[in-house]
Amino acid sequence: MPVVPLKFRPHTDELLIFADDAGGYFKSDHAFLHRYACGQLTSSDRAFLTANGHAYNSVGDLAFSGFEHRFAERLYLPRELDYVILVPTLRCNLACGYCQVSRVNETTPGFDWNDVTLEAVIKFLDSLSAKKIKVEFQGGEPLLRLDIITKVRDFCRQRFEACEIVICTNLQEVDAPAWDLLAEPDIFVSTSLDGNRITHQKQRTVTDRGTDRFFANLEFAVSHLGPEKISALPTLDPHRAPTPHEVIDTYLSYGIRSIYLRPVNHQGFARKKFDARTSAAAWNAYHASFIDALIEHNWSSEVAVEEYYFVHCLRRVLRSGHNGHVDLRNPNIVGLSYLVIDYDGKIYPTDEARMVTRVGQFDLSMGDVSTGVSPETIDSLNVEALNNFHPDCVHCPYQAFCGVDLVDDISRYGRIDLPKHLTDFCQRHMSIFDRIFAMIYSDDPKIQKTLALWSGAPRFDPLLAKVHR
Amino acid sequence: MIDLRIKVDPLPIDEPLIVRLQAAGSPAQSDSDAILTEVEGDRREYELNGFSFAVYGANDTLDGDVLMMLPGTTTAHRLIRAGSKHNTLLVTEQCDQLCVMCSQPPKKYHTDLFEQFALAASLAPQGAMIGISGGEPLLHKDRLFRMLEDVKSRRPDVGFHILTNAQHLSTADLDMLQRLDHERILWGVPLYSATPENHDRIVGKSGAFANLERGLALLMRAGASLELRSVVMQQNWQDLPALADYVSTRLSFLTIWAIMQLERIGYARMNWRETFQDTSTEFEQIARAIDVATARGLKAALYNFPLCSVPPAYREYAPSTISDWKRKYLDFCLNCRAQKTCGGFFEWYSAPEGFASLGPL
Repeated sequence: MPVVPLKFRPHTDELLIFADDAGGYFKSDHAFLHRYACGQLTSSDRAFLTANGHAYNSVGDLAFSGFEHRFAERLYLPRELDYVILVPTLRCNLACGYCQVSRVNETTPGFDWNDVTLEAVIKFLDSLSAKKIKVEFQGGEPLLRLDIITKVRDFCRQRFEACEIVICTNLQEVDAPAWDLLAEPDIFVSTSLDGNRITHQKQRTVTDRGTDRFFANLEFAVSHLGPEKISALPTLDPHRAPTPHEVIDTYLSYGIRSIYLRPVNHQGFARKKFDARTSAAAWNAYHASFIDALIEHNWSSEVAVEEYYFVHCLRRVLRSGHNGHVDLRNPNIVGLSYLVIDYDGKIYPTDEARMVTRVGQFDLSMGDVSTGVSPETIDSLNVEALNNFHPDCVHCPYQAFCGVDLVDDISRYGRIDLPKHLTDFCQRHMSIFDRIFAMIYSDDPKIQKTLALWSGAPRFDPLLAKVHR
Repeated sequence: MIDLRIKVDPLPIDEPLIVRLQAAGSPAQSDSDAILTEVEGDRREYELNGFSFAVYGANDTLDGDVLMMLPGTTTAHRLIRAGSKHNTLLVTEQCDQLCVMCSQPPKKYHTDLFEQFALAASLAPQGAMIGISGGEPLLHKDRLFRMLEDVKSRRPDVGFHILTNAQHLSTADLDMLQRLDHERILWGVPLYSATPENHDRIVGKSGAFANLERGLALLMRAGASLELRSVVMQQNWQDLPALADYVSTRLSFLTIWAIMQLERIGYARMNWRETFQDTSTEFEQIARAIDVATARGLKAALYNFPLCSVPPAYREYAPSTISDWKRKYLDFCLNCRAQKTCGGFFEWYSAPEGFASLGPL
């Protein structure tokens, strides 16, 4: 009876977490590890490994095929291009300290699409084979170019069977025509809400008047568009962050139950102002305290709240095929199923690749919307975008749940061959997955309740937390 | 209850005849279209290629329905009711298993009507999903596959939901299985326990579990769509959480895992006392099975469970599944605000022997 390779890592109570390449996991002790490593598995070991999907009798039997299926489903396979991020202008009416997008002042000329760019973008969209399209407008502040949004929207509506348009706006200046557009059924709003009023003002709006205006607009958006059409995320510096409770309360007061915590990013202006390079530890501590606060909140409140990315990681631990989020994929093939078109018509595989190029580190562009996609650079990056055989990841029990982010590595370290365990990406994700397994193996009813809510099941069953002795 | 047989004047035929009934004045779209010419009381007269026949007694519309008339008989089978989503072709009554809760106990002899069924399916309404049941359809797999290919070439929009014990698939069938349209064919396959002896005992065939594993592996390899069906009984009640675990390690390719209540007819009626598990008073094992499957990202559903028998947290897993023609509601259902979304009870459900804890929501 062959047993698939098991990877392991010390856990609490002298026990270890074991996991295989398909993401099957369990907890056991050092005695089992010894038996496993020395080929001395007992019949009870074998029975357990078979039941838990780590062993099979012959190649092609149902246990083997089931393993293959779960393994294959964990690999991200890019689909046809059906998601386009458009940057019609770099101009912005705010100047946030951490701005990731290297924005320019509202009045600066030469940072908008011209008519030729717009026409080329429309032609590009027309060339896609997808039946449904998702278009995300970023900036700068895209609402400064309502005219362009309207034209792209009109085109997409008549060209595709369905379209979803997301406007990433700072909700700072929204006039009547813009509100009308935002209220349309296929338009969604994504905005920034940096935790609480004080932090939001310090990081974004600067003056009381600016802050009042933003919160008034957010209030109006929630009441007129409905909270289900609005997503908001806080970008926080862990050294200067509001308490988790303040953040949760602020979000709940606008009916927003999913919070996607983002650390200030090591890019654009942020590179100059914040110490993000060594901040993984500080961020991990803040993030962990945030999860604690959410568990407390969910225990006593009727209204459950989640941290979006943590829940995404939890679901990746529990199931195969959960590859829907661009930030955590393996292999992380970029430049195929979604693209970014910048203010000057240049095409990038991701928003982060756009920043890396803009700050002059590497040219990660992949052509121009007028002349077409040229994927050579990105293809050579994609070849390396797999964690299965990476010398650090190959021993890690979290490998199947995790991903790769080479653009982030380039952005932070200027190279992609830094040992993975030294990268910010690895350190943040080790912390998240350690926390997830601590929760899965906890008896605390508060934690069990939150796990059920976040896994989508009515209750969190003990069969999801097997211990083999 | 809707009668699936209707009375007809005997026809001078020596082969089974498939006709599609069409409203008065409709143009005949095929040689099988019969056009309504006269209605008199409960008698409806149709014209088919120059000769006429009459059907009696149906009180709903028959437009678009496909009938099968057999030589020398005065009843016709309503194979396809155009207005219903619950049309099933019983392609054979032979079976190699003898399940304790079988609702359609097997018979020894087989009447081959695959050609007629293929013609009937190709006359179905646009986009129809047609059930194929038995007996065990794959006992006649060459005939069945030919029928599926035949209908696919004539009517690619028509889909099939095939109930099979998956005992009779071999690697030689892989090409055939791969050629079928996985969007339009759903294989409904029963599995009752992850403990081989328990499954074999329930289906009355030793070695069935091992065969089933081979069949399921083939379906997975072919890329087929699977509806795994697990009827809940006293015999497998304690096995359900472990079954959920088995399903999530072995069968994560499935489209849906149906956890099903018993249909009190056939052997299930005969063995009711030793088989029926009253899930209205004790739900824990099902709850655990759903908890595990859902956390693992699998879609689990409760088939044939009246909503009021299910704890509130699990009602969203219980769609209305009992076929329209054999569905009924009880007296108290009149006062229930959930009746519209509830599948109710089988026609042959018996309250005194049934769920102990029910009531309007």
